[in-house]
Amino acid sequence: MTEAAEPVVSVSGVSKRYGATWALREVTLEIGPGEIVGLIGTNGAGKSTLIKVLSGAAQPTSGTMRLDGRAVRHAGPLDALAAGVQTVHQNIDDGVVFGTTVAENLTLDSLSRKGAGWFTTRARTNAEAREVAAAVRLDAPLDAPVETLSASDRQRIVIARAVSRRPRLLILDEPTSTLSSVEAGLLLDIVKEMAAAGVAVLYVSHRLAEIEDLCHRVVVLRDGRVRRTFTAPVDRTAVVEAMLGDLAHAGPVDGAGSRAVADQAAAPVLVAAGVRTRPGGEPFDVEVRPGEILGVVGLVGSGKTELLEQFYGARPLQSGGLLLDGLPYRPRDPHAAVKAGVAFAAEERSAQAIVPGWSVRAHVTLPRLRQHSRSGLLSRRSEYGSAAAVIERFGVRGPGVDAPIETLSGGNQQKVVVGRWLEASPRLLILDEPFRGVDVGARADIGRTLAEHSAGMGVIVASSDPQEVVELAGRILVLHEGNLAGEIRAGDATAGRLATLMSGAAA
Amino acid sequence: MTAQETSMPSPSAGPQEAPVAARVPERVVAAARRFGLVVLLIALLPVFAALNPAFATYGNSMIVLQSVAVVGVVALGVTVSMTTGGFDLSAGACVGFVVMVTALTMVRFNLTGGTAIAVGLAAGLVVAAVNVLLTVVAKVPDLVATLGTMFLFQGLALIVTSGQSVSAGMTVAGAPAPGRYTEGFVWLGGGTVASVPVPVVVFAVLAAAVYVFLNHTRWGRALYAIGGNAEAARLAGVRVARYRALAYAISGLCAALGGILLSARLGRGDVGAGDPYLLQSVAAALIGFAVLGANRPNALGTVVGALFIGVLINGLTMLNAPYYTQTFVQGALLVGALVLSYTGRRERSDR
Repeated sequence: MTEAAEPVVSVSGVSKRYGATWALREVTLEIGPGEIVGLIGTNGAGKSTLIKVLSGAAQPTSGTMRLDGRAVRHAGPLDALAAGVQTVHQNIDDGVVFGTTVAENLTLDSLSRKGAGWFTTRARTNAEAREVAAAVRLDAPLDAPVETLSASDRQRIVIARAVSRRPRLLILDEPTSTLSSVEAGLLLDIVKEMAAAGVAVLYVSHRLAEIEDLCHRVVVLRDGRVRRTFTAPVDRTAVVEAMLGDLAHAGPVDGAGSRAVADQAAAPVLVAAGVRTRPGGEPFDVEVRPGEILGVVGLVGSGKTELLEQFYGARPLQSGGLLLDGLPYRPRDPHAAVKAGVAFAAEERSAQAIVPGWSVRAHVTLPRLRQHSRSGLLSRRSEYGSAAAVIERFGVRGPGVDAPIETLSGGNQQKVVVGRWLEASPRLLILDEPFRGVDVGARADIGRTLAEHSAGMGVIVASSDPQEVVELAGRILVLHEGNLAGEIRAGDATAGRLATLMSGAAA
Repeated sequence: MTAQETSMPSPSAGPQEAPVAARVPERVVAAARRFGLVVLLIALLPVFAALNPAFATYGNSMIVLQSVAVVGVVALGVTVSMTTGGFDLSAGACVGFVVMVTALTMVRFNLTGGTAIAVGLAAGLVVAAVNVLLTVVAKVPDLVATLGTMFLFQGLALIVTSGQSVSAGMTVAGAPAPGRYTEGFVWLGGGTVASVPVPVVVFAVLAAAVYVFLNHTRWGRALYAIGGNAEAARLAGVRVARYRALAYAISGLCAALGGILLSARLGRGDVGAGDPYLLQSVAAALIGFAVLGANRPNALGTVVGALFIGVLINGLTMLNAPYYTQTFVQGALLVGALVLSYTGRRERSDR
């Protein structure tokens, strides 16, 4: 970590715009040789965009980039590779060829090297593979099919290949998300060794513990800007606080004071006793009352989706038991949950809710096909009635009920996909990251409509952005690494308190 | 969450607006895509009639419709199996298997035509059960699973008859077989209802039923949902496994029905009787994608596809084209229809 040396990579004033959205704004960042810089931020903060710009997959709209002091402009990823920037992506299996051996994977690059000749011998391949593997001390049998290796070893193959090209800058994108803690520890050792050898490292992760352990500096991105830079030793809570920003306590969304208030006298809609988000987690209890909007916040990977999917039957119950309106509730699949009166809007709209080419109307009626049909035959009138009701209630703007849903903006799509569940008058409505890819206006519309219609119904809203949840919810549960870190009333929630809970510092 | 000060943009908004001048030829192309096949089919009729006047007789039309009927019945089943993203390649083998089974029931075991029908339909369900076990339970990809089923039942059809054809009066263990094709059963193949051949009536009724089933019932909607995005369907409360099983069951029953009609028309259990039906029924179902811009399996399209193939083959026969050119022509037709369906799709990069 030499102070005076020329930084390996230096970006200055880099901004990136997609359409009308600025993904990065005036980002300035430097990494020196042998330095490990951590990059952290909530979803949508701009981390992926910054990686794309550095690795040549995207062009900055403005700003400059220098490598080893020379100004560069990568036309594409191959340029960046040639310039010495190696990126190890999040999905390990993207970098590995299944159906081939370990040695073949390690020497993948020689396939495209000129002058490599027409024929290869196993001996030559193995010798080359051994050289590449030595860099990360990979000990796997060279002739083994790569599928037989653990995820961690496969990742080491990817890293070994990256290292064998002698990069100046190594970018690691959430490398430990699929590794066990022991494997993650081994990876961190490798990264430290590389830094010691003079490679500049950009380490992107959500795991505070790793960032604490590994990084010389930590850069926090929010809304596309660099908010703060910390130098080691790093204070976790301060990092999370910088990620969250100030919480605008502007009060309830519609301003008319009708924030969903739990009906304290009534029996809870959902009682979850002794539930876990993952095996080995600490069991905890959750309760949702009619008329209440319960928020669930936590960093990415804290277990929100895993918890919510269990309430909906989309995932088997890890442990404990559920009661819905006082009766035992054990949904085998989402069908059973819907039948019992539970509704769920998933995190990834396009992968988990949108049927390509289908109209708005078809999406609205999909969860309740039986109710819209008589002796099996679907009733146009019933369908149109429902669709029109959802469009009106949520203020969906678009070409009309029969328009393909893809022609609507993200926010309006979300209104349809979330709003359709109200037609079913559910007992419990579960929303997993409902505002992702949704503009501010649509967010307000959805929030307000939910608050208006929440009488008698329980609502759970999960998000990794507490700002959204604070606007809507009365009570907030905070998860950290799969466990319940704490519970806080929305009125008492400040960035500081939430950050403490979300970072796990308040154990 | 990044603050997006946007009005109504978003990456998932519709396709970019092309300048007006470029849109006109685009509309012509789109219209050609939608109606091209139907127009082509209609245009073929006078052409063939001009080349050989015998083509345009009532008698010949009935021959065409008769052959189309069996293909069409099987193709409708294949169509249903495709709605969930599956693919029933075992349809032809099922036809052959049912032909043999019905022949055996009547000829070898001297049972009634009604029994033969029941046994035939049951055989179709057995084929479907194997498909479901493979695809839903063992999670084998549909295409290869039904391919395996196809070989299984092509083989079984030979085994149950010891590799021989089944006909009345055949020798079984040294003595003539006790039974024969009953009149009632044979009527299904050769009889008429209001001077329309029975198989054609069955085809028409089945086509209407499948059309209503797929387009107007909640089961059809659920099937298409699974084909469009199975995960979205599951999370909306659709029981995906059950519907996939239903799709294969319907496909098996349709193929069985086709086998029954074929058996009735042949009056005997011919070895390999079902083989040509795989190619033709799959082709008809796939051609159906390209009809009227459906871009998905649909009953009406399958009917047009079956008609197209039937007319084409009949016309070629009337023109004395050698039999060995027929497969090529069918292939060319299929390829043309597929290109029409698939090049129309825009590459959408949705978020």
